[in-house]
Amino acid sequence: MSGPLSGLKVVDVSIMAAGPWIGALLGQLGAEVIKIEPPAGDGTRWVEPKQNGMGTNFICLNLNKKDIILDFKKNEDRDIALKLIAGADIFIQNLRVGVIDRLGLGYEAVNQVNPKIIYCSVSGFGEKGTMAKEACADFIMQAYSGFANTNGHEGESLEAFRFTGFIDLTTSIVAIESILAALIHRQKTALGQKVEVSMLQASLEMQYTQVSNMLNTRSLPRPLGSSSQGLSPDGAFKTLDAEIFVTVFNEEEWSFFCDALEIPELKSDIRFSNNIKRVENRKSLNALVNEIMARRPSVWWLRVLERKGVACAIAQSFEQIKYHSQVQANEMIKEVKTEKWGNVYVGGMPWHFARTPGEITPPPVPGGDTQMVLDQLKLNQYSRDLN
Amino acid sequence: MMNMELLSHLRVIEIAQGVAAPMATCRLADLGAQVIKIEIGDGDWTRQCPPIMAIGGSSTFYALNRGKKGVHFDSSSVSVLADIKQLVQTADVLVTDQSSDKLSLMGLEGVDDDVCLWNDKLVVAQLSDFGKKGPIANRKGSEVIAQAMAGYTRYLGKIGEPSIRLGADVAGCSTAIFTVQAVLAALFERERSHQGQRVDLSLLNSLLSMKTVHLAAQSDPDTFEGPRVGGAFYPPERGWQTKDKPITFAFGGAVGEQGREGWVEFVKEIGLDHLLSDARFDKTGRLTTGLGPLASELKSEYEVAFKKYPSAYIVEKVREHGGFASVYLNHEELMSEQQVSEQNILVDVQTPEFKTQVLDFPAKFSTFKPIIKKTALQQIEKNHSTLKTKGQD
Repeated sequence: MSGPLSGLKVVDVSIMAAGPWIGALLGQLGAEVIKIEPPAGDGTRWVEPKQNGMGTNFICLNLNKKDIILDFKKNEDRDIALKLIAGADIFIQNLRVGVIDRLGLGYEAVNQVNPKIIYCSVSGFGEKGTMAKEACADFIMQAYSGFANTNGHEGESLEAFRFTGFIDLTTSIVAIESILAALIHRQKTALGQKVEVSMLQASLEMQYTQVSNMLNTRSLPRPLGSSSQGLSPDGAFKTLDAEIFVTVFNEEEWSFFCDALEIPELKSDIRFSNNIKRVENRKSLNALVNEIMARRPSVWWLRVLERKGVACAIAQSFEQIKYHSQVQANEMIKEVKTEKWGNVYVGGMPWHFARTPGEITPPPVPGGDTQMVLDQLKLNQYSRDLN
Repeated sequence: MMNMELLSHLRVIEIAQGVAAPMATCRLADLGAQVIKIEIGDGDWTRQCPPIMAIGGSSTFYALNRGKKGVHFDSSSVSVLADIKQLVQTADVLVTDQSSDKLSLMGLEGVDDDVCLWNDKLVVAQLSDFGKKGPIANRKGSEVIAQAMAGYTRYLGKIGEPSIRLGADVAGCSTAIFTVQAVLAALFERERSHQGQRVDLSLLNSLLSMKTVHLAAQSDPDTFEGPRVGGAFYPPERGWQTKDKPITFAFGGAVGEQGREGWVEFVKEIGLDHLLSDARFDKTGRLTTGLGPLASELKSEYEVAFKKYPSAYIVEKVREHGGFASVYLNHEELMSEQQVSEQNILVDVQTPEFKTQVLDFPAKFSTFKPIIKKTALQQIEKNHSTLKTKGQD
């Protein structure tokens, strides 16, 4: 099924996570993506866990691609890469700052063979500055950018997200947003360009509301357990059997919430008379709500809150969510049949285009498309020579 | 490089509230689009969210809605519906978090068909909490609910203790970024096909897409090793303690099976030579540092030496030997980092009313620079003719 970017070609020389997922999503948007791996291989092939011997990170981050192996340290291989780049619309790289230039595929070199290309360059801390050349990874940027500093129980110290790759993938999606802006710019001006994306800026974009609040009011983001800085009640509450998650957005819902909990007197309690007051008095409100909710089971509270139109839900594990009818109806998780490693669950496409839907296709076997891509390149060269 | 309003020829209508849709249209405004935000009744709930700025008003609302024009309607009278429809009829993009039923009640029936019936060039980004279809499509969700349902809260805190959410609004912000992608991709395609289309997005979908690493890891792994399969059952991750602040670090590498060298020299230098003969430690550091499967279990072995030195020294030594490292910073410390000022990440805002900073567009383009919008949402008067004129400015 053709996506909105059908007809576009992408050359992806990135490795690990932040770079490769850019190509995978561009592929799901309909572009043709060729991943070029170094002879040693993308490190994700060996990252645990593996499924039938292949790192599952490699599998899920390289969907929708062809895969070839070239050694850029050899002139003939670099020339092949430049020929592929000459016919491409987008180039993606995320090697340590300076390395891609040494390999002869820096922006100047690529721009010479294809001035219309969108050259996406991903770094950890940005391409300039004292830390430009430092290596980065997801958990490093969680620590550096303050992302970890906002997680934890209230009054406790920071806590990193033990859910790996989130800042990597955040960088990928910021990169795609920017590549698309550059494609629209090219549509208007016929000019290609370099687009620089850093994990640092991407992480701050993912913390947009917290960082903005700090800049506007000098209030330092801090851990609040399951509560939030802006709404109350908003968080997890312990019922007789399990926690449920509840959010009240406005005064009408606050009134419904009080009715559902059978505490109508709270509506006129001046400590909770509006959201700002409820946030100010969050601790006492949460204690009150926890005490009431602990009297009845989760299913009771879910039903009465749902009837009143108050947002509520119960947390889900992987085994529960992958069979959830809502998730299946909207294809939020996709089971992919790989050529060599069995069936693998991956995240579904984040957008669903009504007229140009795009699709998820299985990951390649490393180097599995080398001959086919080289043959195609020769064929293209041959037909160009004939003309 | 020139300052440029890339989308200056486009009009975007936002009928939405909260974080996801407003943040998306805020970034579209930064790219030059004219954005008109429509609020009905009590208005966007973020108006009531603390913290409050010194000049009054919600900081969150300002951050998510700067650079836009706004129209507020108290009710949905017939004339109001005509105004809304007229605005959407002349628009290029509609970003909304309203269901089909609610859009119909606003007089916009058919706007969320695959292609809008009465403006076939319109790109419609329709956001929801749980997706457009399915048994709970019309149920209300939220940031913390999306995090819980997508299983994110399982990777913070400790099993059996009260849940913890990510402090960042990751469902809202990721959906905002996906929405900008959806709009730009559909606009790119419209230029070729001359037709708009609807694109569906949801908070839950965004977080599950971003969960792909863990979904794949838990499919049918050969062994249950490492945080990608067992992270939900690990203790809270607070890094490696040094003499002053906690740090995080890793050796290994991004290419090949063995990765980079450096770990051996590092442990020698900081006085942990005995680890070289300890069978639990591989000699690359790949398994016992960073996200290695043994990192959590063997943390205290490193801390014996780390606690003798300040964090800055350990970070420096890791980097010297080719590894990755950082101190855990809070946002104040981050903003005083030299790297942050060298990156020009913040844009100064100085108006007659207030002074602040906003986050720059999160990418650097070599041929143009987005012009970050600074003005707080400007309300358009509700008078029908004024609306018609100003809406078309």
